[in-house]
Amino acid sequence: MSDQEFDPMTDHEYDGIRELDNRLPEWWLALFGITIIFGFIYWLHYEFGGGHTQVQELNLAMGVIQSVKGSGPSFSEDQLNALFTAETVGKGHEIFTAKCAACHAAEGGGLIGPNLTDKFWLHGKGTSADIFEVIAKGVPEKGMPPWAEQMTEEELVATAAFVHSLKDRNVPGGKPPQGEEAP
Amino acid sequence: MKNTTETIHYDDRIVRYFLMATLLWGGIAFSAGLLVALQLAYWKFNFNLEWLTFGRLRPLHTNAAIFAFAGNAIFAGIYHSTQRLLKTRMASDALSKIHFWGWQLIIIGAAITLPLGYSQSKEYAELEWPLDLAITAIWVVFAVNFFWTIARRRERHLYVALWFYIATIITVAVLHIVNSIEIPVAAFNSYPVWGGIQDALVQWWYGHNAVAFFLTTPFLGLMYYYLPKAANRPIFSYRLSIIHFWALVFIYIWAGPHHLLYTALPDWAQTLGMVFSIMLWAPSWGGMINGLLTLRGAWHLLRTEPVIKFMVAALTFYGMATFEGPLLSIKSVSALGHYTDWIIAHVHGGALGWNGFLTFAMVYYLVPRLWKTPLYSKKLADAHFWVGLLGILLYYTSMVAAGFTQGAMWMAMDKGQLVYPDFVETVVRIVPLYAVRAVGGMLFITGFLIMIYNLYKTIKGAPAPQDEAVVVPARVEQHHAGEGHRRLEGMATVFSILTFLAILVGSAIEIYPTLSIHRYVKPTTKVDPYTPLELAGRDIYIREGCYTCHSQMIRKLDFDVVRYGKPSTAAESMYDRPFQWGSRRIGPDLARVGGKYPDLWHLRHMVDPRSVTPKSIMPTYGWLTQKNTDFLGLRRRVSVLKSLGVPYSDEQVSEADRLAEQQAKTIADGLVTQGAPAGLEKKEMVALIAYLQALGKKGGSDE
Repeated sequence: MSDQEFDPMTDHEYDGIRELDNRLPEWWLALFGITIIFGFIYWLHYEFGGGHTQVQELNLAMGVIQSVKGSGPSFSEDQLNALFTAETVGKGHEIFTAKCAACHAAEGGGLIGPNLTDKFWLHGKGTSADIFEVIAKGVPEKGMPPWAEQMTEEELVATAAFVHSLKDRNVPGGKPPQGEEAP
Repeated sequence: MKNTTETIHYDDRIVRYFLMATLLWGGIAFSAGLLVALQLAYWKFNFNLEWLTFGRLRPLHTNAAIFAFAGNAIFAGIYHSTQRLLKTRMASDALSKIHFWGWQLIIIGAAITLPLGYSQSKEYAELEWPLDLAITAIWVVFAVNFFWTIARRRERHLYVALWFYIATIITVAVLHIVNSIEIPVAAFNSYPVWGGIQDALVQWWYGHNAVAFFLTTPFLGLMYYYLPKAANRPIFSYRLSIIHFWALVFIYIWAGPHHLLYTALPDWAQTLGMVFSIMLWAPSWGGMINGLLTLRGAWHLLRTEPVIKFMVAALTFYGMATFEGPLLSIKSVSALGHYTDWIIAHVHGGALGWNGFLTFAMVYYLVPRLWKTPLYSKKLADAHFWVGLLGILLYYTSMVAAGFTQGAMWMAMDKGQLVYPDFVETVVRIVPLYAVRAVGGMLFITGFLIMIYNLYKTIKGAPAPQDEAVVVPARVEQHHAGEGHRRLEGMATVFSILTFLAILVGSAIEIYPTLSIHRYVKPTTKVDPYTPLELAGRDIYIREGCYTCHSQMIRKLDFDVVRYGKPSTAAESMYDRPFQWGSRRIGPDLARVGGKYPDLWHLRHMVDPRSVTPKSIMPTYGWLTQKNTDFLGLRRRVSVLKSLGVPYSDEQVSEADRLAEQQAKTIADGLVTQGAPAGLEKKEMVALIAYLQALGKKGGSDE
């Protein structure tokens, strides 16, 4: 028998190209076999073996998220007023510039969203608790996002503190009043 | 006594033509790639011209790289090696010429229509229906010429390179035709007959196998010819060729759904896509080891021969990419990598390393032989190799880093809240890596330019090229010699039919069940089709290539759901022709963007994205407030969709333009009350806003 390693096959010659007929490398055969076996078992498990569907997996994961999430922040009017300090207002100003100014303008005079510096309110009456509620839960049907999904509790409080501080500033060039006047 | 030999001439002119076209289009494909890379690093690199925006140029880059650069390279190699492996001139010089010029005209057509926004938005199949028809015709010309040449061969058996060419020609034809079944609605617009999950499945069956049968099998064929020729060594193992060829051809075709993991595609299809991708690992590596082990005893050539250098690097990148592919197909890995730049890294490892370097190897091999002149400078070829290699490595590492970074940021959650809820934060973080990637691309192009100079100097000093003359046997009896597979290698027709059957199995099993979409959508589920105006907006969305940066597919993954809302369902996109699930999130997912922002937000955002998202890298779309919506064309569009089964009323067809104008007026008036300028009701901006506000609002999310 010829030595596979070095003797080309006699009847294989194409434009000068010869061919050896070496055995398939064992590690390669093993790799091929293992991937086929793995694939088959994986397929059996998810098609017939009761493996979770993707919807089941998602529901499990969302359950975990719900369990660690808690019920969301809630404050009374007095608690909030106590938290609205010069420090929180300052921090809230930074957040407002980064996240709110795109719609409410840098000074709060309103742009896509309403003017926050007048006496008129579309949602609630402009109390500290109302402002916090609108920021936290948003008004999704009008394009105001629920910021509790994106901000920590402290950030929500700070933002509410800053917005609260804007009341009645009546910045020049602000949007005309929308909603109802609140004292 | 009768002569037993004769002298024939190979047609080398056509090879030189395809070679020149490879270099020309290569330069253009790479430059377009560099430009889109720069646009992600700094958005103003679109020069505020609509024709150069990322959404329109990215398809041009991918199509040019695949079909113009790699395509012409494949044809050059196939025309050169096939004649020699079959000991006969190509059957018809006329068909060769029609093939060459036809293909170049298609490329020019693509280079004109894609920047103008004529696009089907199906990746690597963006070209519109007139060009689709032309591709079909030219591919048939190529196939006829090729199989006719096989029939006239003076060699009894087909060498392994030819097996791969046969698989390429047959499968690309099947993929292209099935994925391009579409109904024209205008001179350069069409809607596919496939909708929703069907379209997604067919598209990625095509898309994945464009990689398989346009960028893998033909290049393996080229490798099987040029590597043993350049190294002057016998192929390592004939039986490995047989096993890995058939395994590759049979298994590859199943792997498409790995592009759609965790989407609304049914679980069973995803599972098949994943397991067949994993089984593909060894067959792919079969080609690499057969190539590398062929070099046993010739490794010293690696030091002296640029051709061998490029080939070894190409095979190594092929090995890397075909390991990475199965890895990315594992569902949990895909959860991290999908929609990120890891995928971009992966394809460029393949495209630059495997296709690019193998093509360069072939060019360095062919030019001195076709022009009968030694290469001008091996040193420059060396320089090309190292500069190019550095470029690829820089490209690859920066994009893997970007992919991991962005993927991990999307996933990061703390106490049930996203750590990076602001999408733009995850973009800003990777923009510096986009700059590094652009530098990698520049280095790759620098290497390419060194090669162009080297080839120019070589050819300039060469004598007028002539067709190579060879003495061949006058006649070869075509009786079927050998046994088993050897016998099959002498039966070209049977071999081709078996190849066709091998790719048919996986295709049929995966596509057939989704032909009846009602298997996956409850009959009680009601989904409203887009209104005529929303449809007009959708066509603008497609024209601008929004899908190149925005997905419309919320995966069944917790972090996707927390960020974007309920997972997308099969019902929601069932009327979407073409589907818009997307493959990359450079911007956020838009599947449920409808109603999330006021109309005025969208107007301001599209005129100047940075006015609402300061660090956005999105282009400005000011021209949408200038251009008028094509209301009159809507009747035809709505009626074509109705004929495809979308439940439009007769009134919506006959009154499409009037209904659209009405809706546009309502939106434009609303915008005015919010503070926008008047007079937008006829503008494309309003149609696009109507579409965006409809996303996720048409029902079907409760499946």
